[in-house]
Amino acid sequence: MSPTVQIRNVTKKFGSFVAVDNLDLSIGKGEFFGFLGPNGAGKTTTIKMITGLYAPTSGSCLINGYDVHTDPVPAKRSLGYVPDQPFLYEKLTGREFLFFVCGLFNMPIAVVKEKIDEYIDIFEIGDFIDKRGEEYSQGMRQRIVLSAALIHDPGVLIIDEPLVGLDPRSSRLVKDVLKRRTTEGLTIFMSTHLLEIVEELCDRIAIIKEGRIIYEETQSAARRSNGQLETMFLELTK
Amino acid sequence: MPQFILILNVKASAFIKNVTDFRPQSVLKNLSSVLIFGGVALGVFLLSRAATGYLLQQAHIGLFLFHRFLSMLLYVFFITVNLGNMIVCYATLYKSEEVTFLMGLPVPHHTIFAVKFIDNFFYSSSTLLLLGLALLLGYGSYFGMSAWFYFFTFAAVLLPFMLTAGVFAVIMLMLLIGVASRVGIRWLLSGIMIVYLSAIYLYFSAVNPVVLVQEVMKHYPDVNAYFGYLDPPFVRYLPNHWVSEFLYWTVNGEPARASWHLLTLFCILATLMLTAWIVARMYYYKSWVNASEARSPVAGRPRFLQVRFMEFGREGILARPSDVVLRRDFWGFFREPSQWLHLLLMFVLLLVFLVSISSLDLRLTQPFLQTISYLVVFLFDGFLIASISLRFVFPALSLEGDAFWCIRSAPVSLRRLYLQKFIGSFLLIVTTAEILSVASTSMLRDSPVLVLVGALCTAFVALGLTSLNLGAGAYFATFREKNPIRIASSQGASLTFLAGMVYLGAVVALLVVPLNRYFEILIIRGTTSAGWLAIPLVAVGILTSIVFAGSTGVGLATLRRDF
Repeated sequence: MSPTVQIRNVTKKFGSFVAVDNLDLSIGKGEFFGFLGPNGAGKTTTIKMITGLYAPTSGSCLINGYDVHTDPVPAKRSLGYVPDQPFLYEKLTGREFLFFVCGLFNMPIAVVKEKIDEYIDIFEIGDFIDKRGEEYSQGMRQRIVLSAALIHDPGVLIIDEPLVGLDPRSSRLVKDVLKRRTTEGLTIFMSTHLLEIVEELCDRIAIIKEGRIIYEETQSAARRSNGQLETMFLELTK
Repeated sequence: MPQFILILNVKASAFIKNVTDFRPQSVLKNLSSVLIFGGVALGVFLLSRAATGYLLQQAHIGLFLFHRFLSMLLYVFFITVNLGNMIVCYATLYKSEEVTFLMGLPVPHHTIFAVKFIDNFFYSSSTLLLLGLALLLGYGSYFGMSAWFYFFTFAAVLLPFMLTAGVFAVIMLMLLIGVASRVGIRWLLSGIMIVYLSAIYLYFSAVNPVVLVQEVMKHYPDVNAYFGYLDPPFVRYLPNHWVSEFLYWTVNGEPARASWHLLTLFCILATLMLTAWIVARMYYYKSWVNASEARSPVAGRPRFLQVRFMEFGREGILARPSDVVLRRDFWGFFREPSQWLHLLLMFVLLLVFLVSISSLDLRLTQPFLQTISYLVVFLFDGFLIASISLRFVFPALSLEGDAFWCIRSAPVSLRRLYLQKFIGSFLLIVTTAEILSVASTSMLRDSPVLVLVGALCTAFVALGLTSLNLGAGAYFATFREKNPIRIASSQGASLTFLAGMVYLGAVVALLVVPLNRYFEILIIRGTTSAGWLAIPLVAVGILTSIVFAGSTGVGLATLRRDF
């Protein structure tokens, strides 16, 4: 499998504090990759470097062969991103926000209209689509942000804690959508604390602690059942 | 009380940590703040001393008239502090997340009120306090006052005077929030705007500076006598009058009469503080709930603005990414009442300015005075443009807000985004500036050459101020702050404004000598020589290019910072 996301010897320092230390990972096309770690391990920092929100102190992050920092526009063309906090433009409605995101990805208006209707159905957004961002609950914001990340049919989806604030029904909905999209060739890099999600969805995982990878599966493993992952995670991160 | 001290202590510690941050970037930032604030304070001090000297020694207006002018200046100062506190108080007392957090704790509501009021007062008034001190030093040094005068007047006169304006503002705000829940915030803000404009208009109509000057000058050369009988009766109940009277009697060596006015100021301040405390105990929590409920999602809002061609989902003339950013900015602006109402207010002020100068005839017979009158109008135009730039251009990048992740992770060139913001802002600023410049210079019946010079210089100034505010706004960007008014009144914004004033001062300095030469030739020889004006225009162009390149470079570089 050719790597779609490559993180090459990436280090990120904030002053003298090393948040991510010489990280090296490759994720192949269509792979569902779980990125685990305790609080403050460097998960969100890594994700922010992959999406171009942080500049690495050294090393590089490549999406489909393009460096996110030296060649950002082609790299981000195939990128969808769900941040840990689903911040929206408060004065725009959900529909307007989706139009906005599609505009940034240069999608034709006629296609956008159809796609928005499709995602209203997929994530059961309903009439909330025409309410403003400032009127949304956390769960509704999360649905809009997920729609925004998927609506332009990205090749790579980077998700930071995708199920925060979602009720059980919405969580199921999101898991089903993500699972289906990986079978269609979408590469997913997901950071989460929820081990049961990882057990259920991910093909491969890595665990990060204090900025360093302490565990990485080299190939898909059938080891994640009956709470084995939890035991392993607690053992490795204690 | 221990809770009050604990919270203040935490806030003070955070402030101290901030100013004692010795990382190179912070040291550089703090050092540049000290240099710019210090430079401007020095400039105000020198101007204040020179203006006092000029008015008393050259123009011989006398101590009474001088202190009445001071009183008028203090009135405008009072209104500015009052309005500034009311606007910022709404954000700090009613919209702040810190208040929401504290409301969930067993802290009395009036304690939260007191903490946030102190926070708000020093946040919104610190720059004005500094300028007030510089003015005081300039004034005092002319009269050769002792050190205790400065200390006493700052602590016991200037500070209570500004505090009176601030406390009055917060009492009004608490009471008005109740009204807002009935009539709506838009109507209320429009009402407040009309009340403040009326207050300024009625004050100056009643005081009538022209009649006052004529009446006092009838007694020339005994212009230092006390002409208190010329004051309209209501003026005696205003805090600006008490402060100017305190200063008048102090420099006349009559401390007993001066202290009487000081005592009045203290009594009113104490009464207002007590009133604020009582109103806060009775009403702050209720008004906070009212304001929160008014903003709640279920409250709903009328969709009053329909602009079909700006709706998303319509084809535009720009490339798609630029088009959607433009539409987002349009709706973000017009769906935020504090944005369009402020713009409206500023346009009303511009109109008031133009109407005011339309009745003036500043064609003077002395070249230097003619130069001064031309430059004063130019400087005032520049000051208005600097204010509009600060209020609307400086916050432009901060207002990308927490949702900036959306653009940062999209395949969009940040350089193009910056350029788009710059062009949009520049078009607004340059259009307003040119209308103001051409209208004001034409109304003053200046020659076509001077109208053209004014228009060209104004275009440069608009370019310089737009790039300065956008670049500095990116450098000092605070994505967490949603309130554009707070962004435009932050420390970074104050620094930017002062830097803008320094730039404007430099432009005026470049124009003084050539303009004076132009007027000398025009008035004395009766011929025109526009060649004298080409050199300063080139110099202003070079200065503006430096400001533009520096600001844009800083803005672009900081836009790529970690988000």
